[in-house]
Parts: sequence; structure tokens; C-alpha cells
Amino acid sequence: MSVLPFPSFLDDIKEKGLKRAVFEGVNEVVERLTAGMNLQDIREALRGEAPTRKPNPRLQPHADGFWLHMRPSYFHKSVTGVYPEFRLGWLSTYFVFFETITGIFLMVFYTPSPDVAYANMLAIMSNVPLGQFVRDLHRLGAEAMVLIVTLHMLRTFFTASYKKPRQFTWATGVILVFLTYFLSFSGYLLPWDQLALWAVTIGASMFEATPPEIVGTNLNLLLRGGPEMGANGLLRFYLLHVLAVPALLFVFTGVHYYKVIVHGHSLPPKEENIGEDTAKRVPLDKRVYFIPDILTSEIMWIGVTTLILVILVTWFFHAPLESHADPQITPLGTTAPWYFLWIQGALKLGDKVLWGIIFPTVYVGFLLVWPYIDTAPSRRWAHRRLQMTIGFLIMSFTVVLSYMGLAEFGVVNSADITVMHHMTMEPAHNHMGTLRPIPFEQLQAGMYTTREFAVEDAAEAQSAVAAFNAELELPPPWLQGQADAQPVGEMVLAYLDTQHLPLTRLNFTTVPSASPELREVVEEFEHELELKETELHNAWGVVIITDVQENLKRIDVMILWEDVVIENGKVVFDAEGEPVLNRDENGNPIIRMNSQHIYIHRDSQYFAAPGA
Amino acid sequence: MASVVSAENQASAVAREKAAPSVVVATPNRREFLYYIWGASLALLLGEASAGLIWFALPRFKEGTFGGTFVMTGDKVPAAGSGPTRVPEGRFWMSNVQDEGFVVLYGVCTHLGCLPNWVDTNFRFECPCHGSKYEVNGKYIEGPAPRSLDRFETTLVFADGTQVVQNANGDPIPLEGRTVSEIRINTGKRIRRAGKV
Repeated sequence: MSVLPFPSFLDDIKEKGLKRAVFEGVNEVVERLTAGMNLQDIREALRGEAPTRKPNPRLQPHADGFWLHMRPSYFHKSVTGVYPEFRLGWLSTYFVFFETITGIFLMVFYTPSPDVAYANMLAIMSNVPLGQFVRDLHRLGAEAMVLIVTLHMLRTFFTASYKKPRQFTWATGVILVFLTYFLSFSGYLLPWDQLALWAVTIGASMFEATPPEIVGTNLNLLLRGGPEMGANGLLRFYLLHVLAVPALLFVFTGVHYYKVIVHGHSLPPKEENIGEDTAKRVPLDKRVYFIPDILTSEIMWIGVTTLILVILVTWFFHAPLESHADPQITPLGTTAPWYFLWIQGALKLGDKVLWGIIFPTVYVGFLLVWPYIDTAPSRRWAHRRLQMTIGFLIMSFTVVLSYMGLAEFGVVNSADITVMHHMTMEPAHNHMGTLRPIPFEQLQAGMYTTREFAVEDAAEAQSAVAAFNAELELPPPWLQGQADAQPVGEMVLAYLDTQHLPLTRLNFTTVPSASPELREVVEEFEHELELKETELHNAWGVVIITDVQENLKRIDVMILWEDVVIENGKVVFDAEGEPVLNRDENGNPIIRMNSQHIYIHRDSQYFAAPGA
Repeated sequence: MASVVSAENQASAVAREKAAPSVVVATPNRREFLYYIWGASLALLLGEASAGLIWFALPRFKEGTFGGTFVMTGDKVPAAGSGPTRVPEGRFWMSNVQDEGFVVLYGVCTHLGCLPNWVDTNFRFECPCHGSKYEVNGKYIEGPAPRSLDRFETTLVFADGTQVVQNANGDPIPLEGRTVSEIRINTGKRIRRAGKV
């Protein structure tokens, strides 16, 4: 009786009518897709009713389906709340996938070659729809992932969930933390800006310090692909970042999660008898089934996390991009990201083999074997005072080392460089030079001086600048009266010429009122000079803005001061506590000048630091 | 299949077990032995493959691709006692050290590879990465660097035609008032200073 030579859907329509046949067809498809739950089962679950079919259809997807085969079909009630796990394990897994997906999208527009990598970054940030959005998500996601997995590790430590039989789970977790950090490190190089090049040069040099020497040298060569970090190194780090380390990460995540399921989520310490592990034996009344409660809870958590990330990236956080990698210049203030600051701090202590290789190895090794050291049976906080103390001590130690890793610590500079650096520095993690975020229109071409702000009364600014102009036409005070003494202004012009800024004459004005942010920066410049009065004696500073091309401006920052005697980097004081001036053979003070310059394009994107 | 412990020995084995717990394992039979040999050959294969892969991944470059010999005219010699002159293409600095002479320093910090800046106010090199500091002749002052700055072998050709090659220690070449007509810097030959001298 059928149209086709075999029984088919059309027969059903003839038998039961179209509506019923379609409904039953859809029902069957749904049951196959979900590996066991038809429409009524789903509705029952969503309504919070008990299942009517036997066996419980909500367990079928776990038994028959691939996606849920490793997920437990029920959880113990005590681990479903925020405490004790804070869902950190689930969030860590989510971030693996989040980073993979945002990373794959970025791969569409990125090529790992020094010739084009930086241009690709600029294109992603300005020419690809939502490009900046995806890049910021990837960068912020990376930082969030490092934070979340570290918190996950801390949580596992404090609830002593690493104890028997979960020691191996903890060990695989430490390996995962290490892989996460390395993923972050390898991704760092890819934008090929100054921060990328120099942070990774330092990192690869650390590997070079591995003893014995033949291992270290070859490890360094394998990473760099050449004597210096260049095209080969970029390609190798790219392959590590997108293929090798993610593959390892997926494998170890599988191993780690499987062990978690085999042993079950450990219960809050006070719910178990000491020394017992009852996580796998969940009484019937304590079961919370995966479908629908845990599933919906997990989706909600990752939904909220994504929402938070999107909000942060839309309004508060933007991944920085410094200037193009320059193998000739190491910028001041190259910092590691916050989670590597502890290594950078340790490196300042001395020998790079000891502090760069041996110390981190011992640190990570200690973490790895900790469950085999701490075999005390009780997981309760009251019985673990010693272990918690050790944990807090290690955390404090890491924080102190991280502080030492900051750019300001231990890396001293002469006062002039410090002041100028504060104004010109490239965008780093949370700050940049004060000149950079000034809106392009406010950078009006002209010459501005800190003398404008050296007077108490704002009304005197004009006359202060006029007096400054007049002062520049004369030689320095101790040379006035001499026949062929060179005016200060000429010295300045000659110096600026050596910095490739040829000007015909100097004419300083007050900062235009249409440039309030520029005015703020120059005023701050004056304050900084006042603070550094001892080293920069009788100093004044200038900011000179020139139009180089139609959409490109050059900003020169210059300081002129009288030289002070410095020994071992410290100012020498006389009996009255005044700095001793450096004097030439005639007993006159010596004038010193120093300057830096930066270029700002109309499309340069400098985002004000969060909170600024 | 033949059991590892044959029937006759079973009783005595059990007795031995009860008396003093110990493991009794017979010598391997042919099958087991051949498996061991095969396993060893697989291990050898894996070892060779790993070594081969590492050899594959090591980069190829000509030693001395970096740099070669730089020849500069004598007027580039900085004044005695002043700051050094930077040559970015060669990544080195030329110093004329008061009372010591002329020396060429490799400008890469011996700590972790950053490029120290010359800070005129403090009259020393200061590395921006971890704060290592060196004097104008490259001598280590303080910081996490393990040794002083490396030097490049230099040959000075003077106006009167004589040549002086730097000694193996890399000590500065005294100028003794002579005019330099040419400076030859061999960046293929890097002299490592022993320690912090």
C-alpha cells in the first residue's frame, strides 16, 4: 500500500494523520539526538517533576551519549553550592574552550611572520569587525584563565582535596597549571611588538641557563630557531601556542577530569569522617541529578562569566599593543605579566641558573609532590594548621617576589630618564606614558614649557612664559658679560638638531585652553621636576609638538638642568645638605640636556588605563 | 601453556612462601625473552627518532652570520674619558677608557639578553630589565648578571701604519696619543671576560 517500496514516513501519515505523524517523528528524532530523552522527558525535567518512565530517562544520555559519557549522572548535594568548589574546575574547563574558540577566530587574520604580524594586529584592531573585541576577549580570557586555575589550585589545597586517593589528580593538575602558564607565555610573542620581543627574549634566555650547558644552549636554539629571536622563533612559538601545548592541555585535561570522576568530587571536609573518602557513595537522598539541575547550573555559570568578560572588554579593558618590535632597543620597564612577576623578581636576586631554573623547578616540584608529603588523614581546617601556615607562607613569599618583579623595583635610573619615561612609555599592562592618551586634536603643534606652571598664580603664566623666552636669548647667568658666550636657546637648538628635530627658532607659548589634557600633562611634568630637584638642579622641561605628516605628530620631551655630582648612582651632598654641583675647569656649573620623542598618529589607539 | 612455576615446585614454593615471603620467578622462556629483545629494539628506535627529531628542529645558520668584521674610520673613536659610541648595526659600543685605552663591548647584557642603555648622568651602563650595571669598560658593578660585558676582538690601524691587535684577554688597547686611522672589529670573535673583571 505504500508509495515507496519500503515502509516509510509517508505510511505513518496515511495511518495516523499528518499532525500525529509529524509529532511522533520529531519526538523520535529528539530522543535519538539526546541519546535517550524524548520531548515529554525533557518537559518533565524542566518542570521539576519526577520522571515517569522507567528506567529513568535522565540517565540514558550519560550511558549512551558521547558528550555526557564522562560526566557524572548525579552529584552529591554538598558539592553543588558555591562552597566548597566555587565551580572553579568547571570554569577552568570553560576557559580552555573559550580561549580555543577566540584563538581560532584570531588565527583567521594572523600570520606568524615578523614582516606582517604587527600589521595583522593593527588590522585586527581597526579593520576587522569586532576584531578588537575578539582580541581583547582572548587576552582578558587568558589572564582570567590563569587566575581561575590558580584559584582552583588554591581551593584544592585548602580543602585538602588532594589527599588519598586523589594525589595523582593533584599532580596532573599541577602539570595543567604549568601548561596554562606556558600557553600564556607563548602567546605573548605573537603580536611582535616591543613587549613581545623582549619578554620572550628574556624567557628563552632563561631556558638557556638550564644546566648542563649543552642542554641549555640547544634548548635555547630549539626555541629561537636562530641566534636571536626572529622569524624562526616567532614561527616556533606560534606552533607551540596553537598546536603543541593545546594538544598536551587537552590530553592532560582528559586525564585530570577522568580521575576526578573516578574518585568523585571530594566532599566538604567536615561532612566526612576523618580519614574516610565517601565521595563515591552518595546516598539516594543526597543526589542531585545532572539533568536538569547541574546542567542548567553549569550553563548559568559560564553565561555569567561570559557576560562579565564581555562587559569588561566593552568598557574597561583593552589589550595593549606597543610599538613594533625593535631588536636594537630594549625598552625601559619591560615587565612580565602579573603571574610571572615572581620569576622576574627572583631573577633580580642573582645567578640566573639558581633563580631562573633551579628555584622555579624546586617550587613547581614541591607543589607536585606535596600530596605525597602531607599524608595526615584529616582534611579538616582545625587539624591542618601547619599545612595552611605553609600554604600562606608560600603565597606571601610569591607576593613579595612579585613586588620585586615590578619595573620600579631594583632597576634604578637617572632622574631625567625616570621623569621622561613616565611621560612617554609604551602601553604596558596597566599604565602608559601620560602623553599618549591625549586626544589627537589636543596635540596642537607648538612649544610648551614647564615654566608656565612654576608660578603660584595662574594669571602669571603668560608673563612666566614670556620671561622664559627672554631668558633663552641670553647665555647662562655665570657666562653673562662674556663676549662670545652662547645663548642657552642656541644650545638647545643645536642639541635638538642632533635629535633630528631641526627648528629654526624657539618660541614658547602657554598651552592652549582647548587642550586641557595636554595642560595637565605639562603641569604634572613640572611637579615631577620639582620632586627631583636634588638631582635635576634648576631644571626646566619643554614639550615640543610638531606636525610631521598630515595625521602624524611628533612630541619631543626635553629637560635642561645643571649637573650634580653623582657617585654610584647617588647624589653627593655637601655639609649643608645641598647637592654638590659639578663644575667645569672655570668653576662654572655644567648644563646637561636630555630628551626623548614619540610619534602619535591620529588612529593610534591608546586607551586610558582602567580607573584613570 | 607452561606455567612459570612447574607443578613439582609448586608445593615447595608455597612452603617457601609461608616460611619467608619472597618472589619466585623462573628464567624467561624463549617467547618472553624475544619480547624483551623486541622491546629493547623499540626503545632504541624511539631514542633514535627523538634524537633525529631534535637534530631536525635545531636551526641551521652560519656561525658568524651575525656581524662579520666591521671596519670604521678612525674619527669614530670617542674622546678619552667620555661616554661610549653606540653602533646599533653591530650591537656593540666603542669605549675610550681614560688611562686604559680603546675597547669594543658587545652590547648585550650577560644576564638574559636585554640591551643595557648608557646612562650618561650616572656614567655607566644600566640594563632596563633587571638592573645589571656595568662601567664604561664593561666591568660589572652590580646586579644579577654573572659577568662583565663581553668584548669583540679589535684591531686598530694607526696613522703611522702600525697595527695593534687586542690581546686574548680583551684588554683595552692603549692609544698613547697616536691617531687612529681605522678600526676593525671582528664580531665573529667574542671574548668572554672571566668573571666580573
